[in-house]
Amino acid sequence: MTIKFNNVFVNGASTVTGPYESNGPLSKFFDKSYEDLYMDTNTWEQAEIKILGDSVEILLNKTKMIKEDIDLFISGDLLNQIVASNYTASYLKLPYIGIYGACSTSVEGIILGSSMLSNNQIKNCICSVSSHNTGAEKQFRNPTEYGAPKPKYSTFTCTGAGSLYLSNVKSDIKVESGTIGTTIDSGIKDVFNTGAVMAPSAADTIYRHLTDLKREPMYYDLIVTGDLGVYGKKILINYMQTEYGYDLSHNYDDCGVMLYDLEKQPVFAGASGPAASALVTYSYIINKMKKGELSRVLMVATGALMSQTTVNQKMAIPAVSHAVSLEVVE
Amino acid sequence: MIYVNAFIFAGLVCAIGQIILDNTKLTPGHVTSMFVVIGAALDVFALYDKFVIWAGGGALVPITSFGHLLMHGAMEKATEYSLLGLSMGMFDLTATGIISAIVISFFVALIFKPKS
Repeated sequence: MTIKFNNVFVNGASTVTGPYESNGPLSKFFDKSYEDLYMDTNTWEQAEIKILGDSVEILLNKTKMIKEDIDLFISGDLLNQIVASNYTASYLKLPYIGIYGACSTSVEGIILGSSMLSNNQIKNCICSVSSHNTGAEKQFRNPTEYGAPKPKYSTFTCTGAGSLYLSNVKSDIKVESGTIGTTIDSGIKDVFNTGAVMAPSAADTIYRHLTDLKREPMYYDLIVTGDLGVYGKKILINYMQTEYGYDLSHNYDDCGVMLYDLEKQPVFAGASGPAASALVTYSYIINKMKKGELSRVLMVATGALMSQTTVNQKMAIPAVSHAVSLEVVE
Repeated sequence: MIYVNAFIFAGLVCAIGQIILDNTKLTPGHVTSMFVVIGAALDVFALYDKFVIWAGGGALVPITSFGHLLMHGAMEKATEYSLLGLSMGMFDLTATGIISAIVISFFVALIFKPKS
C-alpha cells in the first residue's frame, strides 16, 4: 500500500538524547543531550516525558512558532499505554493522536500526518517519538536491578526524543511518498533478537515500495532502516538478495548501527526503540540532505510488536515496517 | 588447605553459574533457584555435609548451601514432629539469611537509586 503525497514539506526537526547517544559518532547533530538517564526527574518514565516535551519545545523555537499555531500533534513511544506521549500532549494542550507501532512509530506518524496534509485537512503537524533505555528494558526485557547478562545479538533501546514539523509551506525537503507495511510473524520468540524479528518485515516493505513505484534500489541515495542492528542489517541485505533479487549493499544502512560507536560503546548489536530512526534521520540525514549530499532517502522504520504478557506466554513476535520517501526539492 | 578447598569449591559453583548464563537463555533467577534445588538434592546421603567439612565457608557461602539448610531444618523438625514438622522446620536455619536479605535490601533501597 503506497501513497503519493502532494505539498508535504519538512519544515523543521529536533532531537534530544541521553548520555549514550551524545557519546556516539552523531553527537554534534543533536539539539540537546542529558548526561544522566534520570534527566533531573525522579523516574525513568518522567525522564522520557521530559525529553519528549523538550524536543517539541526546541522544535517550536527553531521554527519560530507558538504551539497555538500547530494543528495536530501525533506522537508515540514504548511505555505502556504510550504514557510519555499522553502526558506530553496533556501539557501541550494540542489536538493529539497517540500512535503505537513500537519502533516503526516514527514513520507511522509521518505517513498519518502527511496524508492529512496532502488532503488539506490540516495546515501543519508535529510528529514526535521517544524512547528511554531503562524505561523500555524494564518493561520488555529485564529491569537493570535484576542484573541479567544480555546476548551479543541483543539491541540496546536508545534514549531520546525526536520531533518533525511537517507543513504545506514549501521547503528544501518534501515527503514524497509512503508505504504502509504488512505485519509479518516470522516465528521468533526471543525478545533480545529483534533484529532478526524485524528484518523480513523491512524487506517486505522495501520490496512493496519499490515495486509499487516501479523503482530500483539505486533510485535512492540512501535506504535506511530503523533499528535492525548489525546482525539484522546483514540478514536484510542477504534476504533482499535471495528472496527478491535486489542488491542493497551499496546504498543501505541502519540507524541502529549509525547511532553508536559499536566498537567502543556497550550497546551490543546497536540501537533500537522508536527514537533510533528519528534521532538519526531528523538530525544527521536531514542535515546531509540540506547540504545537498543526499537527495533521495527512503526511511524504513521497523517495529517488533510484542508485549511482556505475550512474551511470557511464549507467543512469537510479529513485526511491521513502514517506509517514507524524503526528497530534496529541485 | 581448607582455604584452597574453599576457593576451588566456591569457584566451581560460580563457574558453572557463569557458563549457564552465557550459553542459555536462563536468567539469574533461574540459576539461583536451580542451585538451591541442587544443594538440597546433594544433601541426600549427607553429601553436602561432606563438602562443608572439606571446603568450609567455600561450601557454606554459595546459594547451594541455602538448599542444604532448607533440608536440614526440615529434617530436624520432621524427626521431632513427623510429617508436619517438614513445613515447620524448613525455614528455621535459613531464617537469618532471609531476614538479613530483606532488612539490608530495605535500607539499600532507601539510599540508592538504580542506574543504567
